[in-house]
Amino acid sequence: MAMLTLAIPSKGRLKDQCNAWFADAGMVMEQTAGARGYRASFAGFGDVEVMLLSASEIASSLFAGDIHLGITGEDLLREEAPELEGRMHLIKGLGFGFADVVVAVSRAWIDVSTMADLDDVCAAYAQTHRRRLRVATKYAQFTRSFFAQQRISDYRIVPSAGATEGAPAAGTAEVIVDITTTGATLRDNGLKVLDDGVILKSQAQLAASLSADWTGEVRAACKRLLDQLDSANPLYASLAALLPA
Amino acid sequence: MAAFPYYGTASIEALNSQASALLNLFASHGYMREEPAVLQPAEIFLNRYGEEIRRRTFTLTDPAGHDLALRPDLTIPICREAVLSNRNFPARICYNGLVFRHQPGEPHRPTQFFQAGVELLGLEDRAAGDTEILSLAMGALRVCGLKDFSLRIGDLALFGALVDALALPSQWRSRLKRHFWRPGYVESLLYWLSHGDGTVKLPGTRAEIELLLDAQGDAPLAGRTREEIIARAQGRAAEAASLRLENRVAGAVTELLDISGPVEEALAKVRALLKTIDINLDPELQAMEARLATLKSLGVDLAKVEFTAHFGRNMEYYTGFVFELWARDKEGPVQVAGGGRYDSMMEMLGAKKPVSAVGCAIRTERVLAARTGGAA
Repeated sequence: MAMLTLAIPSKGRLKDQCNAWFADAGMVMEQTAGARGYRASFAGFGDVEVMLLSASEIASSLFAGDIHLGITGEDLLREEAPELEGRMHLIKGLGFGFADVVVAVSRAWIDVSTMADLDDVCAAYAQTHRRRLRVATKYAQFTRSFFAQQRISDYRIVPSAGATEGAPAAGTAEVIVDITTTGATLRDNGLKVLDDGVILKSQAQLAASLSADWTGEVRAACKRLLDQLDSANPLYASLAALLPA
Repeated sequence: MAAFPYYGTASIEALNSQASALLNLFASHGYMREEPAVLQPAEIFLNRYGEEIRRRTFTLTDPAGHDLALRPDLTIPICREAVLSNRNFPARICYNGLVFRHQPGEPHRPTQFFQAGVELLGLEDRAAGDTEILSLAMGALRVCGLKDFSLRIGDLALFGALVDALALPSQWRSRLKRHFWRPGYVESLLYWLSHGDGTVKLPGTRAEIELLLDAQGDAPLAGRTREEIIARAQGRAAEAASLRLENRVAGAVTELLDISGPVEEALAKVRALLKTIDINLDPELQAMEARLATLKSLGVDLAKVEFTAHFGRNMEYYTGFVFELWARDKEGPVQVAGGGRYDSMMEMLGAKKPVSAVGCAIRTERVLAARTGGAA
């Protein structure tokens, strides 16, 4: 029998919040024996297989169509697929995992408070230093499309694997694009968010892959699951409208 | 055209013989062929163009971790070599080779195509350089057997001079010039200018600004010098206090950017509009008229030459005269050649002093398709 696959974060606060959300909907998760903690199921939902993956794997698996449903940060989904249309459907924002993807610069840049200021500085920097200003980020797609939308082109992206907020002090980049929840980490590193530098207000999303194998059985399982998770809203109907006939 | 073109015997032979004809023509005008490597250090493109072109450049990392790029054009490697090898100027260089472009969101467009082109570097007489390149581009299409094509021209220097004539702080002038090639955005900047900029909250004196900077504790300078930051903060504070462009002037500039049409009519409109705001751009307009006279002497029907004031090119390095040549293939109008002046590039690539530069590139596969399929 074809199973509906649902991936949820395997660790951290996002995992706990997911579990709490399922519990609120009256669903109890059971770890599958022998699967070393990477598989689980819901009592009474024999046709739903739960997989525990890292938040970024969930985004790439949805994009690849390897899983039907997944819960992960909207930032990761949109970074994975800048044009979600036709590839993924955001079923529901879950009201937790709030974080902003932002453009931040050093507080010492007292002359820079907007993206327009940054544009000036990028151009002046290229003139004076004969190279482009560097933006450290793990969100290359976001950065590119947001900067293009803000008409900034005199910069280059430096891929960052972790601790992006340290790049300006370390001298590996001048500007960063990063995720922040309270802004405390940015402040600790002498950085500030630009007034119009919020690229995305992100939260955890329940998302569906439109390129996965949606058999009749899987669709039926999905409808039953979504009705259980949110009986007040026709979540399945909006998804079904996007699935291939 | 396919994303990954396969050239069959007939089509590669047709392209090769067309290329020979082009290179012979270029050689007869003193342009010597050069051939840069296909695989280049990524830096030279990314530092020159910025992130906009990076989107369209195939980059890869070699086993030692160096960033490389498949050349997205030949102009940059050729100019770079001219700088590195201390070439004598003027230099006339031509090329024919493949370039590689990622086409995000347009999977039907080819990821590689041939370009044949010329670069004229270091010729002091810019007017002569402009017309030499334009007439060579048109001659190139004729050598290929393409007779029916149209010409679009523009001049970024015209807009630059217009902005310089406005009573604006220098940062705003350079911002307007920098964004000239983006239709729509300049208009919104002009609107902002005539309605005030309320975003700046910086103190006015140097002492106050230094105090504010010192209050930021150990926040990193992040690649800029203290002096750079102070100087720009002072400039920002001063411009916020003085910034105001008359509505009438902003409106006229916006209207001017909208002018497009047969070149003689369009230039008459530009002149009339400039008169209403008392701005004199005679040197630039005379340069354009001199080009038109040359075109006329080359047998070009000026009624078929279109002038677009906001001429926008998708590569942002042009600084002056720009042109595009259009023909038709089976599917409709297609740009077969383009070029113009890019006087800031050589310095950007490390030249110690300004070197004038003008050139053009011909999309040879499109020329071939237009010649064989374009019953326009």
